[in-house]
Amino acid sequence: MTAQQEQHPHPLAGKRMTGAEMIIQVLAQEGVDTIFGYTGGAILPTYDAIFRYNAERQDRRNEQIQLIVPANEQGAGFMAAGYARASGKVGVFIVTSGPGATNSVTPIRDCMADSVPAVLICGQVARAAIGTDAFQEAPVFNLMSPCAKHVFLVEEPEELEAIVRTAFEIARSGRPGPVVIDVPKDVQNWEGVFRGEGTLHFRGYENRMRELSRSRLSEESCGEFFELLGKSERPLICAGGGIISGNAAGQLRAFVEKFRVPVVTTLMGIGSVDTTDELSLHMLGMHGMAYANYAVMDCDFLITLGARFDDRVAGKVQEFAPKAKMLAHIDIDAAEIGKVKTVTWSHVGPAREALEDLMRCGDDFRKDFSKWLEHVRGLKREHARNYNRETPAIQPHHVLECLSGIMRGEAIVATGVGQHQMWAAQYLDIRHPRSLLTSGSMATMGFGLPAAIGAQLAFPDRLVIDVDGDGSMRMNLGELETATTYNLPVKVLVLNNCGDGMVRQWQKLYFGNRFSGSDKSLRQKDFVKTAEADGFKFARRLSDKAQLEETLEEFIAFGGPAFLEVMIDPEACVYPMVGPGMGYKEMITGDFIAGRNPDEDLSMGAPPSDSF
Amino acid sequence: MSDIHSPASQLNSQSTRTLSILVENRFGVLSRITGLFSARAYNIESLTVARTSDPGLSRITMVVRCESLLAQQILRQVEKLPDTVEAADLTESNCVERELVLVRVRAPEGKRTTLLTEAEIFRARVVTATPDNYVFEVTGDSGKVDAFLDVVRPYGIDEMVRTGKVALRRNLSPKHGDADPVQAG
Repeated sequence: MTAQQEQHPHPLAGKRMTGAEMIIQVLAQEGVDTIFGYTGGAILPTYDAIFRYNAERQDRRNEQIQLIVPANEQGAGFMAAGYARASGKVGVFIVTSGPGATNSVTPIRDCMADSVPAVLICGQVARAAIGTDAFQEAPVFNLMSPCAKHVFLVEEPEELEAIVRTAFEIARSGRPGPVVIDVPKDVQNWEGVFRGEGTLHFRGYENRMRELSRSRLSEESCGEFFELLGKSERPLICAGGGIISGNAAGQLRAFVEKFRVPVVTTLMGIGSVDTTDELSLHMLGMHGMAYANYAVMDCDFLITLGARFDDRVAGKVQEFAPKAKMLAHIDIDAAEIGKVKTVTWSHVGPAREALEDLMRCGDDFRKDFSKWLEHVRGLKREHARNYNRETPAIQPHHVLECLSGIMRGEAIVATGVGQHQMWAAQYLDIRHPRSLLTSGSMATMGFGLPAAIGAQLAFPDRLVIDVDGDGSMRMNLGELETATTYNLPVKVLVLNNCGDGMVRQWQKLYFGNRFSGSDKSLRQKDFVKTAEADGFKFARRLSDKAQLEETLEEFIAFGGPAFLEVMIDPEACVYPMVGPGMGYKEMITGDFIAGRNPDEDLSMGAPPSDSF
Repeated sequence: MSDIHSPASQLNSQSTRTLSILVENRFGVLSRITGLFSARAYNIESLTVARTSDPGLSRITMVVRCESLLAQQILRQVEKLPDTVEAADLTESNCVERELVLVRVRAPEGKRTTLLTEAEIFRARVVTATPDNYVFEVTGDSGKVDAFLDVVRPYGIDEMVRTGKVALRRNLSPKHGDADPVQAG
């Protein structure tokens, strides 16, 4: 209970109402302005309560909770996720029992894997019917338990309002994540007294969260950090999604500026620093920039902030950052420290405060890393991103370069999963946090369109672009209609290479060009007609390279939902590539990015410390 | 018998860890915790759960076969669950461990006296008897229980049930009690 609530009891405290009405009252209390969801038998009372809540506020539209109805519950989940990723607020979606709940498993797991705060309210069959194989019954608690941060089954209606409040607390505290509330239909229909306050108590969790929020770096610990930094000649920061979800991008940028340490980011960390900044080395990992990966190979001190050495980042762990004799790690999740890499120095706590503490304690710290920075600048110059600029076939990289020039790092971009996702990560300038919304860990195809819709609802006035692939677009194609139904000006860009390009790339490399299941060149789908049928007033297909820039500009400038399909070179591959389970030294850079001779890295004849 | 590990039981326990997890006594907690283990493909060797002196809390004692580092990692994962109050690896700590076994041993005429004499060594109690067999109850650490079973196995074991291990620290540190000190807050 907050002090504010103590002073001002809820105006409806003490009133009798149904469980369904209590759910909506608590959502309003939590500041929820948008709910995504699909109705159905077991959630009818709650949908009715939303309707009545809004009807009572017909003349006060800004107090209403807008309801966005997707084509499929998975869409609702990804809309809520897009809303949450873009805004930092808890995304909310409400679905019915059985298939509604099972369709929501994927977005819940996706939110968990990328630490996105969300609350899912599922209808459930009445308590007396649970376990009888009732109509539209599914074991939501069992299904969701291993996928979510926490799951509640409301057994006691008296606990309902406290559970809903607690769900929000759990979703946004510590390492954020999704919380599921399974609400039997009779609990929604139950009538009781609304208290307007109160949460459930989880003593261990509350203690841990209290300790976490108080967790600051001691002078001693800061001293140790700067001792390591002082010993280092080639320090490198690796920033992850924790910087973004922890709202620490400002602190990170100040830290980078003050100590002049270059930064690589994970896919989830893109936007934590401005990718156009001179000290930004963009993304590392399996499809990271060649220069970013070379910098990781060369650094002697790796400072990992809110990242977790995922296998797509670390590759062969034993060979990851082989020259980094020192490794510092700051994370909000104690379980991530030492999980993959052994660390020299670590701190468990919010990144924002930790960086502030380091800045304060290191106020007098001075060390000249200019030789290292010169080396890093060289890497950026020598091993810059590149692609086939001569061929008449439209290259996806080219499309994204042009798009980047138009949006100038100011748009919110959502992506599907696959090659186009990696090209978007590599070729779009992203200047602000919460601007690249992508399914990183789960890598769920079909994420992009609904996530873009969710982000557009969070920021109606911003430019929101879904960069998608033909495979990913098919997955949640139904949501095209959702965009036009609510007249959301999302820009849907499909890079069509007639298949599952990333899978094809792996089949080329590792499966002897046997394109099992991944070739879609004989499919009949006309995406443009589909978009038109779903109400897109701007729906075009582009196959002529000469018209690319002009078409992109018209597409982005269009005042409403717009759809553009670009037929890209189906042979285009994502480079660089560090093969699965391989070390960075085995990175392939392709025909257009200059690779580095394996002996060339730091040797240069002189001892490493003198090389810069 | 002694609470101190005999060398034999130490050998046995080298690859197993005894984990003690204090949790909120709420719906689904057990499945949540065991789900964490199965999701990481760890086998649970034994598991006991019961309410503590505080009816709002339950204590889970779990024996898993894994190395110390892996146990640390899984405990950290367990500690992330909102329902977890406290989770600890008791394998190397100073604690009392007990397990109970009920075992039906063939006891034909002529072997009964020797069987009872051997059982006496382990302070095994006969809890029921038929003309053909005895059902013994033995309590002790896992090493003792194993040793007893080794002794009676030649007679023929018809049926057996073990409770799995329960464990308690010898010294109560304020942080690790059933009642949480910050609960009042």
